[in-house]
Amino acid sequence: MMAWIANVTSVLVMPFLLAGVIQRVKSLWSGRKGPPLLQPAYDVLRLLRKSPVYSATATPIFQIAPWVFLITAAGSAVIVPLLGSAPLASFAFDFVWFAYVWALGRVAMVLAALDTGSSFEGMGSARELTFATLLEPVLFLVAAALCLRSGTHSLYHALVFDAGGAVLLRLCAVLALFIMLQVESARMPVDDPSTHLELTMVHEVMVLDHSGPDLAAIVFGSMLKLFVGAALIATLLNPWAGQGTLLAAAVNLALSVLVAVSVGTVESLVARIQLRLVPEYISLALGLGAVALLLGAWGAGAGP
Amino acid sequence: MSSPFLLSLPLLVVGAVLAVALRSNRASAAVALVTQALAALLVLVGVWPSLRGGQPLQQVWPWPAPIGTITFRVDALGAFFLAWSLPMTWLGTVYAIGYLRPYFARGRHGGPHFALLNLIAVSFVLIYSVQNALVFLLGWEVAAVAAWLLVIWDYRSQKIRFAGFNYLVSTHVGLFVLVAAFMLLHSKTSSMDFHAFGSFLGRASPTRGGIFLLLGIAFALKSAFFPFHTWLPRAHAAAPAHVSALMSGVIHKAGLFGFLRFTLLMGRPEEWMGWTVLAFGTLSALFGVLYSTTQRDLKRLLGYSSTENVGIAAIGFGLGYLGWSWGAPSLVAVGFMGGMLHVLNHAIFKCLSFYAAGAVYRATHTVDLERLGGLAKRLPGASSLFLIGGLAGAALPPFNGLVSEFIIYSGLLSGRATSPEGNVMLVGAAAVLGFVGAVSALSIARAFGVGFLGSPRDPGLEVGDEPSRSMLIPMLCHAALALALGLAPALGIELVRPALEQFPVGTHAALALAPVGSLAWASRGLMLVLLLVAWLRWRQGLTARRSATWGCGYTALSPRMQYTGSSFSEQMARIFQAFTPALRRERITTELFPQTPGQLATHHADAVERRIFEVLGRAEELVIRASQRIPAHPRFAFAAGLLTLLLIGAFALGGGPR
Repeated sequence: MMAWIANVTSVLVMPFLLAGVIQRVKSLWSGRKGPPLLQPAYDVLRLLRKSPVYSATATPIFQIAPWVFLITAAGSAVIVPLLGSAPLASFAFDFVWFAYVWALGRVAMVLAALDTGSSFEGMGSARELTFATLLEPVLFLVAAALCLRSGTHSLYHALVFDAGGAVLLRLCAVLALFIMLQVESARMPVDDPSTHLELTMVHEVMVLDHSGPDLAAIVFGSMLKLFVGAALIATLLNPWAGQGTLLAAAVNLALSVLVAVSVGTVESLVARIQLRLVPEYISLALGLGAVALLLGAWGAGAGP
Repeated sequence: MSSPFLLSLPLLVVGAVLAVALRSNRASAAVALVTQALAALLVLVGVWPSLRGGQPLQQVWPWPAPIGTITFRVDALGAFFLAWSLPMTWLGTVYAIGYLRPYFARGRHGGPHFALLNLIAVSFVLIYSVQNALVFLLGWEVAAVAAWLLVIWDYRSQKIRFAGFNYLVSTHVGLFVLVAAFMLLHSKTSSMDFHAFGSFLGRASPTRGGIFLLLGIAFALKSAFFPFHTWLPRAHAAAPAHVSALMSGVIHKAGLFGFLRFTLLMGRPEEWMGWTVLAFGTLSALFGVLYSTTQRDLKRLLGYSSTENVGIAAIGFGLGYLGWSWGAPSLVAVGFMGGMLHVLNHAIFKCLSFYAAGAVYRATHTVDLERLGGLAKRLPGASSLFLIGGLAGAALPPFNGLVSEFIIYSGLLSGRATSPEGNVMLVGAAAVLGFVGAVSALSIARAFGVGFLGSPRDPGLEVGDEPSRSMLIPMLCHAALALALGLAPALGIELVRPALEQFPVGTHAALALAPVGSLAWASRGLMLVLLLVAWLRWRQGLTARRSATWGCGYTALSPRMQYTGSSFSEQMARIFQAFTPALRRERITTELFPQTPGQLATHHADAVERRIFEVLGRAEELVIRASQRIPAHPRFAFAAGLLTLLLIGAFALGGGPR
């Protein structure tokens, strides 16, 4: 029961906090004070109070898609050890579910974008799906590498196996997942979340027409995906992962915040790469995943 | 054991004859429907014991020389294929009545068409039950010729005749290969009986490897595996919707059935066979889905997606082969289970997609994505059914496609190969499968988003009515099945299980590796929450304010500015340029004040098809050019000749199966 409450609370709070941390880090790097840490939460609450306006072209798909996106993000959070200990649900090969549930959310968002008949939104959705295709194998490679190394089959058990050991394998997996996180949550150097130029956007341009509670669902869904991705990395790095103690949870949350700090730092220091180079950036993650797989299969990289 | 099962054959043939003889279309359709329904019933009653895991149904018919006797034997494998093939053909016939109605109204006689659909059912009964190679070939040929005649329903169009001819030639190339394999087997066993074939194939020998490859090619041509798929998109684009649906979903599954039938006859395979099947499956899935992303024609797109899906099934079969050769029963179980279940799932959702595409064609007279758009508002029924078929096809939860892919994934990612290299290869295949899944999501989002959402791209396009009842009912049946097998996968698994138990899956619970139950609970939960929220939001949206789409500051928007199908897949096609070359035909004016309008047309070609014919057409030339590089001195010429002979010799002797 305690685990349930803790997990649900973290799902409700941490996404806002991580988004706030990224904002704060970016502000500090550029010499500003920055908004309050929980500003994203205030934004979402403000959006929830507004009433939506729909495009005259759109069908009910447009109204439902944001919520499908949010629900799929929550559906993936269920199997991820958000607090470094047993997640709410876990079954063998649950990472396949993870990948396909994210794909469902993505398809829903793309359909909503195309539903408006806007050329910019079509452009963004084509980019989003194209990058996602290249990204999909990364998750499978990393998860399979960890599974092979640990001899287990569920995401949670593979992540927490031999916590603190297998340094090289963990390093590759963390870097690959970090790139995946950047692409999925539309961060630099793949996508610039704060640009004003629709032509260069990927994720932001798809949601131009959403408003009110629908936009709130999308914003919170994206932040939740960011938290889920950060929690994956945090659990991999957490030497106390899988113990179910308060220490493990605290370290996991701190590491999640650290992931957010690194996302913000990268975003402040690195320029956005050209769109046609994004596939190459993603293939870096693929390469790291492949190395992780080789390390996992031959059991090398096992630490002391 | 005697059973009325075989009565279905004369029944169907009589139905076919009557359908041709009767003058009125209504009567022909009724005769075809009634005979097919009765035959399906007879078959289902007949194969029921086999489906429940009982004794195979066996019957021997005396026949004049040269055949002697024909043995009909429906084991669990044949029973599994029969159990859904005949009902689905029946549904296709129901659909045909509505789809062909405009032709009937113009006085076209549909009798032969319904008769051919009956003959398709005949070929299923023959292929899935007969134990004699000659009769098997007969069934094979009946299916091929009937399918060809069904494809060229619109025979007045030269394009459609060409597509049909292309199909006819390809399928007969496959037939030649199959005949070659049977002749080899006959020469070794001096029998045409599958049982005798089995006792020969059970022993490892170099001939066995050769026969395996021949059979593999023949069945791959039938099921449109890469690189033997080139006839498929043409035929699917040309045929009436229900024929495309039946060909893709049901008829061409005979190739996969043949493959499984001979797998069972062969017994324990060698490891290289498993890797070969896995490699072909992976390539088919990969190229099928890549080509589907660039298609403008909705039915061609679905055709390429068939190549993708048979590839996915073959990945499962390859896994089963490998598990068998390694002596890992759990891999055999998940491999063949996933593969066979995917065959069924594909039949369910691909028929649905083709039927919905046919409904679009009926209403708009085109399936060109760049001319459609905004159909979701004008044809909400057909559109939502297409979406369901598409989501199931992209293996998205909570539909049925995910279940079979999940089972295959669980085998690939289980780490149960005997060596690290083997594990790496299997995970590599899983990563490709993940990529394929994501690309098929792109492909379906593109097809639905461009064709059905947004505003109409071609203002001149007239949109007719929603599908008639006889078209709607088959679609609803398939959609319900797609959802049912996604939410209650046990239904599909129970159907496959008896067939699966023919393979060496050990005594323990065959599917312990793949926790399908957990997946089903996850899907059900997702479905429940989605329905609840969708309902709430939809109600709320009824009263919401409406406004124009945000044009990013530009106010003179027109529907022609929407993202098109080609622009949607442009980036993807550029990344995989080597396989999806873009062909441009342009006439761009360079005058300062252009008087004549410029023109630009692009389309993406099937690189394999182009290259194959390029190589075939220019093979001589290539050989001659290569030989010209050899210096004219006789010593070099002699050495080159000797080297060629040695290479050929090495291939013939050492390059064969280990």
